[in-house]
Amino acid sequence: MKDDEILTTTPQNDDLYLENAQECENNEQDITIEDAPIDVEFDIAEEQTDIDIECADNVAFDMPVNAPTTSRAVYMPTEESVRKEHMSARRKSRISNGVIYAILVVMCVVWILPFIGILLESFRCESTGQVGYIFPKVWGFDNYVRLFTETQFPRWFGNTLIMGLVTAVVQTIFVMAVSYALSRNRFKGRKLLMNIMLIFGMFPGFLTLILLYTWMNDWHLTMENAPWGLIIIYVASSGMGYYIAKGFFDTISHSLDEAARVDGATQFQVFYKIIMPLSKPIIIYTILMGFMGPWGDFVMASFMANNASAGYNAAAGLQWLLVDAKINEWYTTFCAGGVVVAVPITILFMCLQKYYVAGVTGGAVKG
Amino acid sequence: MATVKLTNVKKVYGKNTVAVQDFNLEIADKEFVVFVGPSGCGKSTTLRMIAGLEEITEGTIEIGGRVVNDLQPKDRDIAMVFQNYALYPHLTVFENMAFALRLKRIPVEEPVLNKDGTPKLDKEGKEIKRTVFKKLPNDEIYEKVTNAAEILGITEYLTRRPRELSGGQRQRVAIGRAMVRDSQVFLMDEPLSNLDAKLRNQMRAEIILLRQKIDTTFIYVTHDQTEAMTLGDRIVIMKDGFIMQVGTPTEVFEMPDNLFVAEFIGAPKMNTFKTTLERVEDEYFVSPCGVRMPVDGEKGAALLGKDVKTQQIILGVRPEHITLTNKANPYAIPCTIEVNEMMGSELHLHVTSEAGDKIIVRVPTVSLTGAQINMLRTGARVYITFKSKVMHFFGEDEINLLTDKENVIGKLPEREIPAELLEEEPKKRLFKRKKADKQADEADQTTAGSDAQGEASVDMQAEEPRQEAEQTGEKS
Repeated sequence: MKDDEILTTTPQNDDLYLENAQECENNEQDITIEDAPIDVEFDIAEEQTDIDIECADNVAFDMPVNAPTTSRAVYMPTEESVRKEHMSARRKSRISNGVIYAILVVMCVVWILPFIGILLESFRCESTGQVGYIFPKVWGFDNYVRLFTETQFPRWFGNTLIMGLVTAVVQTIFVMAVSYALSRNRFKGRKLLMNIMLIFGMFPGFLTLILLYTWMNDWHLTMENAPWGLIIIYVASSGMGYYIAKGFFDTISHSLDEAARVDGATQFQVFYKIIMPLSKPIIIYTILMGFMGPWGDFVMASFMANNASAGYNAAAGLQWLLVDAKINEWYTTFCAGGVVVAVPITILFMCLQKYYVAGVTGGAVKG
Repeated sequence: MATVKLTNVKKVYGKNTVAVQDFNLEIADKEFVVFVGPSGCGKSTTLRMIAGLEEITEGTIEIGGRVVNDLQPKDRDIAMVFQNYALYPHLTVFENMAFALRLKRIPVEEPVLNKDGTPKLDKEGKEIKRTVFKKLPNDEIYEKVTNAAEILGITEYLTRRPRELSGGQRQRVAIGRAMVRDSQVFLMDEPLSNLDAKLRNQMRAEIILLRQKIDTTFIYVTHDQTEAMTLGDRIVIMKDGFIMQVGTPTEVFEMPDNLFVAEFIGAPKMNTFKTTLERVEDEYFVSPCGVRMPVDGEKGAALLGKDVKTQQIILGVRPEHITLTNKANPYAIPCTIEVNEMMGSELHLHVTSEAGDKIIVRVPTVSLTGAQINMLRTGARVYITFKSKVMHFFGEDEINLLTDKENVIGKLPEREIPAELLEEEPKKRLFKRKKADKQADEADQTTAGSDAQGEASVDMQAEEPRQEAEQTGEKS
């Protein structure tokens, strides 16, 4: 690089700079007078008036500073091409939606047919046995009347309801407590405990059926008293269903707990003042699950009742109507019973569906 | 309103991972202390130990002269602001702020009454008294909350839920929640790092104002040196669990004890050069980038006072203490501009010297002409020189040669991060142990090589850090 290429400042610019510098000096004086009791010396970049900057060969100075260095070929869609693409995309999605809906409709029909069948059969009055057609010839509520007057169905229904409610409440308390402890506390053997509970939970409950019957029999909680025995059985292992609730609690930030503890809450206060209100979906999910277990149970319930019809739950009792000797007389009544049993759980689900979905998905995030 | 004293505080996770090493600090009443350091330096852990959210492995923490090691957070009389606000989502802003007040129970002595309403007397005729824990009256709660809300300018949001607020408003609520407690110590754990840059600057100014209003002891944790410099009465700079320096912002900026502090405080970071400090009789010379230059008289005298001999040093020069100069300057270092960052009021030039040193220069734009600014672009050649008045000299152990303090920590050994810690999802323990066992078995079978045994033992040890990774991961 030659000497004459070295760029130095022009006199004009120098003047400009000096002006700036003077301004600065003025400012300094102001500062000195008003604020600083001692003489403060400001020297703003005294050396910078005289700077050498040499330019490398590849730097082009005639280029404006902000000009783009490279020009890029940009794809500009025309109006027509946009419309074409748009239309084809819309058509595609319409076809695929159509296919999906068709499949879903078929699945829905297949799924709902048995329910419609049982509903229609329950209103059949011309005969009580099994017949080869679905639509009743004579409609009426005879079967429902028979169900409530001539069988022990009210008792069975009551048994199931009590079992369902008690289990739902107690199980929810257990599950919430276990899940919270596993989610928030760190103790020895925590992981081991969680794994063991998970693995034990995979064994079907009726493996221990005979053993449980013997125990319950010793405590006189079988036969007529079967519902109370069953409640104990349902509730005893319910803490093992901690998994989804724990997953949900894990998603609640720990700093909320910490903030509450700093604010003066005990761990129990943190649990019921902070965590519980935030866990509505999962509580409702747990209650629903706790209610549905006894409601739909058949194997355990019929075994514990051991042919004492007063101890049956609804499922076991209704099944009792279907033994070979009675089936022709009671089949339509059984269908009516099926409908009655389905009513409360359907209403419950319709009311709480919103929370149910939130609970399942919320727990699944980290579960 | 209390002093905080930490004596030999140490925190160990699991068995080997030391988060905080031998932390000693006395915080005066109404002082604003900032813990600052890169992530993983133990600053948050220390704060959480003071808050009682983390157990103390060794040492004692005193708040207002009372050892609080075994006290629950609620009994320590502290208030804390969290990084992610930690507002209770199901409560309104008012209830969020009132939460602590509603939980508070005040001991009140009151006479025991007979059934007819007259005070019960003991044998000597004195009134029998009992201590009753009473809730704060609603009026008082209302007054405190509205006062705090007024100071923070959130009165109109009191009936809203946290999710209906913006980030800055949420942070205000979080601060308000801590304010109403009137606690002895105010802890803040990176309260501004979730906010965007503009809001952060605004909130920083507000915290300074707030501090004047509530006038209590503050401990503030941040990783941002600007926050540390602007907010703190004193700054505690930490690295890898060690305190690197404690001092006022001016002290740590002008007289860093070691290279780490020097590089951490100040933006852009300080330039360093490995060079020789030469002593020729009573004068000192340094030769960064191959240019030999004398050390300024004042600094030279200080070095002479310490009787520093000729030695290899690390020279530190802040970007703002480097100026552009002309070729004729005998101490000019020729450099090529690699990157230029226009910040408006100043220009950051990343330049490379002929010796290959990468240097950052900070040039105030007011001292340059428009033409000059245009010329200072990538590839251009400039001459720089150092102001020797403000040079920093660090020995090879990275300790400042001019520091008067004793027990200054210099270079720390490189911390090894076990590969397990870097794994994202720790595997289920049940399976992990099996794998470790299997490896140990394999190692036993091939006992012939001592190497194999060594490997196996390493694998066994590796389990512990993984556990810790889980712990810390879940806690953070």
